[in-house]
Amino acid sequence: MSEGKSARVLVVTSGKGGVGKTTSTAALGAALAHLGQKVVVIDFDVGLRNLDLVLGAERRVVFDLINVINGVAKLPQALIKDKRLENLFLLPASQTRDKDALTEEGVAKVIAELRTKFDWIVCDSPAGIERGATLAMRHADAAIIVTNPEVSSVRDSDRIIGLLDSKTEKAERGESVEKHLLITRYHPWRAARGEMLSIDDVLEILSIPLIGIIPESEEVLRASNVGSPITLNAPLSAPAKAYFDATKRLKGEQIPMQIPSESRGLFNKLFGRKAA
Amino acid sequence: MSSLICQRQSLTFRARSYMAFVFTPQPPIADWLADLDATLERSKGFFAGHPVALDLSAAGLTPPEITQLTASLAERGIRVLGIEGIAPHDATPGLPPLLRGGRGAQEIEIPEPAAASAEPAPALPPQKQEPASLLIDSPVRSGQSVVYIEGDVTVLGSVGSGAEIIAGGSIHIYGTLRGLAMAGASGNPRARIFCHRFEGELLAIGPHYKTADEIEASLRRGPAQAWLDGNTLKITAMN
Amino acid sequence: MNLLSLFRRGSAPVARERLQILLAHERETRHQPDLLGVLREEILAVIARHVAFDPDKVQITMDRGSTVSTLAVDIEIPNRRRASGAASQQLSRLALSAGSAATRSQWTNGLV
Repeated sequence: MSEGKSARVLVVTSGKGGVGKTTSTAALGAALAHLGQKVVVIDFDVGLRNLDLVLGAERRVVFDLINVINGVAKLPQALIKDKRLENLFLLPASQTRDKDALTEEGVAKVIAELRTKFDWIVCDSPAGIERGATLAMRHADAAIIVTNPEVSSVRDSDRIIGLLDSKTEKAERGESVEKHLLITRYHPWRAARGEMLSIDDVLEILSIPLIGIIPESEEVLRASNVGSPITLNAPLSAPAKAYFDATKRLKGEQIPMQIPSESRGLFNKLFGRKAA
Repeated sequence: MSSLICQRQSLTFRARSYMAFVFTPQPPIADWLADLDATLERSKGFFAGHPVALDLSAAGLTPPEITQLTASLAERGIRVLGIEGIAPHDATPGLPPLLRGGRGAQEIEIPEPAAASAEPAPALPPQKQEPASLLIDSPVRSGQSVVYIEGDVTVLGSVGSGAEIIAGGSIHIYGTLRGLAMAGASGNPRARIFCHRFEGELLAIGPHYKTADEIEASLRRGPAQAWLDGNTLKITAMN
Repeated sequence: MNLLSLFRRGSAPVARERLQILLAHERETRHQPDLLGVLREEILAVIARHVAFDPDKVQITMDRGSTVSTLAVDIEIPNRRRASGAASQQLSRLALSAGSAATRSQWTNGLV
């Protein structure tokens, strides 16, 4: 591991559960690693480990974040290297019932140590606004707020944005965490029929810049079934391409936003899978 | 002789919610009272006329000590609206009523008195005609609570669903109001609420309020203002 | 892994298999200490009695399978005769199969 790096800390958060945080953390982490960045993804959910499952590393977990905080293991011993992408590492969550073991000091030390060894530290936040979620965002330089175009998801995202502006180290120093809206589970045909909050509705309510629109797709489920991030498992699929675009935007590139369209989806459904 | 049949109208009971400051005394109480006095020195009369609730869950006081504490607070011009955090059997009849189900709001900073003049004059009570105004130049997010009893609040942005703005004066929202706005919280009946787009949950001026249900649907999604006409809260569209 | 068979079957059977293995292990360890975890601690204790090593330099990898689980313990042990440039020897891989019955241990490459 080369020294002298100073990682960007990215939190993937939402407030609402089940909107796609872990899927997005895996997809973005893998995409960044694929683009040559050295990435560590951290699962902050105490007691309900998820990120390891989505990355297909569930059988190789030895030590976790809380083991490192408690000094039971050193950081390099706990990091699990991805078998497919050599630049991607995972620090799994603990299954311990003692969520008080996740301390502010402990997390700060872990992040500080990781900062010198990686280009990106991606923190997968649990749902809610309790300690796991606030600790996941505490050291963030940037945040991806994952939102479904649905009323309670939007309200919860608004709440989380409020917390990003008050409960982070950056906010406490008077600086601001870079916020990016990632819309997931977008259904083109429901939007066309006006049965779903539009992108503009969500943008108007949340007032933060949009970094990507991920269409709903079977590929996401398939990827999680086989334990591979979608950007690795199906890189040419619509959601993967949207994740790659979002990743490039994160790195500062200007990529025009593509709104997933109905016709392309239908085409894939009718002809894509049945071919050959 | 016809007997007068008195028909008594059945009493209707309505519920109202009020915002109150919460004191959470920590033992030793003498030290806590000293800290309170120091705060009152800085902002004299800040709590005068405002409902104050006492959260005694951390205080560990006996019933006579609780009575003593409410008396000490009364000496300082603070009247206790109610008490929470004590067991029902500790609530002696002379004490303020037990409260339940308080919803937490954000912490409130007691403001320093404005150092406008060099004179060390005592801080003026809030009702004096000093144009005090709070400007918030970003959206107010769900779960955030803005309390500014001294005067008007202006928001350059929207107020999210689940957010609250509570002002002693008027409230001006240059955006969409989706949450709660309560103006005239210090008792000023002339306070008003203005917003570019009304999609709110509750509007109140002083003790008079209306929830979203009670507000005409035609007023939603357009500019609106709320004001008091006597004891009636009126909400109309603005052009 | 045959990709074509994945498409024909769909990915659900893969998910089912992964879950069965994972949950079997999790249910087992929920109420009793993890066998591999205990073995790991005891192995390190035994080795520590004979050779000094830096516990921070121990790398442990595990792969929990349906019938065979593998625990690999890699320890850097400094050479007694210290030449310039730290020479180190790796302890051989200890492969254990834990499952229904017998535990076999194999030592390869001998210890110096």
